[in-house]
Amino acid sequence: MRFLGFRYLRRQHILTLIIVITLSSMLFSVTALSLLGFYRGFTTYLGEGEDIVAVYDRKSRTPFTGLVPSYLAEKISALNGVLASSPEAIAPSIVKGESTFLRGIIPEEFAKLNQVTMVEGDLLELDDLNSAIVGRNIAERLRINLNDKLLVLGILTDRYLELEVKGIFVSHSPMDDEILAPLYVGQWLRGADYGHVTLIRSKIDRDTITPSRIFEEIVKEASEQSPSLGSTPSQEPQPPSITPRIVIRFRAENIGVEEAYNFMKNYVDRYGLTRESLLILSAMVFLFSGTSIATALKTLMVQHKGEISVLRAIGASKRLLKKDILAKLMPWSIVAASIGFTLALAILTVIQGGGYMQVLSHTVPLLIGPFVIAINFAIVSLIVSAVILRSDLE
Amino acid sequence: MAFATGYIMLLRKRGAVSSIIAIALLVAIIASTNAIVNYLNLQSETLAGLVNPRGTYLILSSNFTAITDSRLPADLTAKLSNLGYVKNVLPQKVLTANLTTNYGSRTVQIIGIEDVGFFLKTKGAYINGTTAKNWTEANAGEILARALSISPGDDITLTVDGTHVKVRVVGVFRSQTQSDAKLLVPMEIADKLAGNNATVSIIEFYLKEGVDSRDALDKIMQRLPENVRLVQTQQLREFARQMNAQTLAFLNVWSVAVYAVVAAASYVIATRLVTESRYELAMLKALGAKKRLTFTLILAYAITIALLASILGIALGTAGTQTASTLLRWVLPSVDVTPFLEAYQALQIFLLTLTSSIIGCIYPALKSAPIRYVEQPL
Repeated sequence: MRFLGFRYLRRQHILTLIIVITLSSMLFSVTALSLLGFYRGFTTYLGEGEDIVAVYDRKSRTPFTGLVPSYLAEKISALNGVLASSPEAIAPSIVKGESTFLRGIIPEEFAKLNQVTMVEGDLLELDDLNSAIVGRNIAERLRINLNDKLLVLGILTDRYLELEVKGIFVSHSPMDDEILAPLYVGQWLRGADYGHVTLIRSKIDRDTITPSRIFEEIVKEASEQSPSLGSTPSQEPQPPSITPRIVIRFRAENIGVEEAYNFMKNYVDRYGLTRESLLILSAMVFLFSGTSIATALKTLMVQHKGEISVLRAIGASKRLLKKDILAKLMPWSIVAASIGFTLALAILTVIQGGGYMQVLSHTVPLLIGPFVIAINFAIVSLIVSAVILRSDLE
Repeated sequence: MAFATGYIMLLRKRGAVSSIIAIALLVAIIASTNAIVNYLNLQSETLAGLVNPRGTYLILSSNFTAITDSRLPADLTAKLSNLGYVKNVLPQKVLTANLTTNYGSRTVQIIGIEDVGFFLKTKGAYINGTTAKNWTEANAGEILARALSISPGDDITLTVDGTHVKVRVVGVFRSQTQSDAKLLVPMEIADKLAGNNATVSIIEFYLKEGVDSRDALDKIMQRLPENVRLVQTQQLREFARQMNAQTLAFLNVWSVAVYAVVAAASYVIATRLVTESRYELAMLKALGAKKRLTFTLILAYAITIALLASILGIALGTAGTQTASTLLRWVLPSVDVTPFLEAYQALQIFLLTLTSSIIGCIYPALKSAPIRYVEQPL
């Protein structure tokens, strides 16, 4: 006996179920997309390709507070297979009363790692005294215009400075939420001397050189330093530079070299935050709200008790009825899950646009991964199937 | 009497427990998230509190956003210097000038200082040469000197709006501050270039150690004219507060989605109650109960469920995260997370759950009111 032809489930009651599934699915999607977006944004903060390597301070508890000798950038760039080496001084600061990050860079080296397109104004140069370029996101958030003068207040050190906005750029990376200034400006605000930077990012040719090879060179450099060497200007002949070149004595065990992605990933991994754990956490949220879906399904059964009794009376078995209800409700459930996901995307886009989706003053990117969509449909299907197939239909 | 009978009758329905669990689990999601975020925020605030800012303050003109445009009465310096809790008052006149050397010219910023030597000392600067002491001498910051190939002993010309001053660079200094990209000159040179000696651009000062900064700043503000603003340079706590606010802003928006599900769950629970209790509700009508009683009963049921669910959910969420963090600490000893929920947050969650539940149940409760016994399959 086939009941697919009978429309015994009333649309109004199915609508309630659809709304509950839509909201639960939306809640899951909002949670999963934002958590994974945060994870993605954080781990790709310094670059996501395998060819981007970070030289960092092992002792530092955050990626923003370490210090490594800046002259190592030159040493690394001289290695065969290293395409670019960018020393960077990252300084948390306050601009126009808002928290932000300023990054001191050598523009020429930085450009080899991050493609920067100027929306307004000109590119930054190392000898641009008292100038900076700002990312489009932060320019919009703080209403910064070309040629504005910004009073930048240091956070890690008791320093302040004024910078003129030379340009506004877009890089489609977390840098769009930062201010880029010459390296020495970052060093001032970070409270570092000219011999130190927060980290060194390098672009390498993986076929020629590996991070471990770079580390070997750093170990060699540390062991070759004279024990009496403290912090001295270099005696080696160097091309004229605007920043003083200072050779710092350091311990090789305090320096780490890793792919930039792994370097950032290790920080969040320390707190048990992996992509998988965040997905499980989101799925838990869905399962918790799934009890509402179960309640809605049971309510639907109660509301159709009369119709189900009639069908049972004319010979329909429980198994057949369950299959039939499942066949009738499953498409609606999938549609509701899709609407929930779409709604979540729309809401997050609006929140992101409004500047409410930020972590550490960086916009959390939206990551539409197939995993989230698959888990969304899987959990909905699972809950709907389980509740219908386990119901007694009495 | 009729209300009490009806209320107990509805609560004894078998769906009550599952309804409480459905809403409690949603409340637990909010409570646990808040508990974890509280811990993270407390950590960042504690870290911010560990650093004791040196206490540098700036006084700027409130009419202008740029230091170079700022104009303050020069006599403010004397007023500040007389205060017992203030030390190292450093008035500065910042000008944009055209600097000409033997190799060319460039627009730079110069700072006029009363005592260049004292200024460099407060910045912990090193100098190659001597400090500028009179109106024919200047000190160049290291970055500026490198950019323009200036060495101690070089003669340079400064030009502002057609006024020229020729000075000799008697020393190149390194202070690791923005001054390294500027030229320091005695105040009389800056006054001559600016064409006035009545104003300064900025006044930098420090508070003495052990002084109650809030009290001292209040007193300073009372002495300042209206058109000036006071800025603290190292706002670590403010930075931490804003970082936390960003997380909380997102958490609040996310919570709206959870409360929407709570409202939907409450709607479903009330609908189910009305469907399953048609007989009882019709009986009450038959015994003379008014429409309002049915509405009140459904509403009271939803409120009771929400009340019990929020208490259970808050307890479950808080205890759940604490248990999970303890387990995590056993697995990963380096992870030390201690989630907690503030009393006001518990109250907030409680009230919002209650509100969402009431909103969700109103439509089914209103729909239940017209149920008449003649329409029911008695």
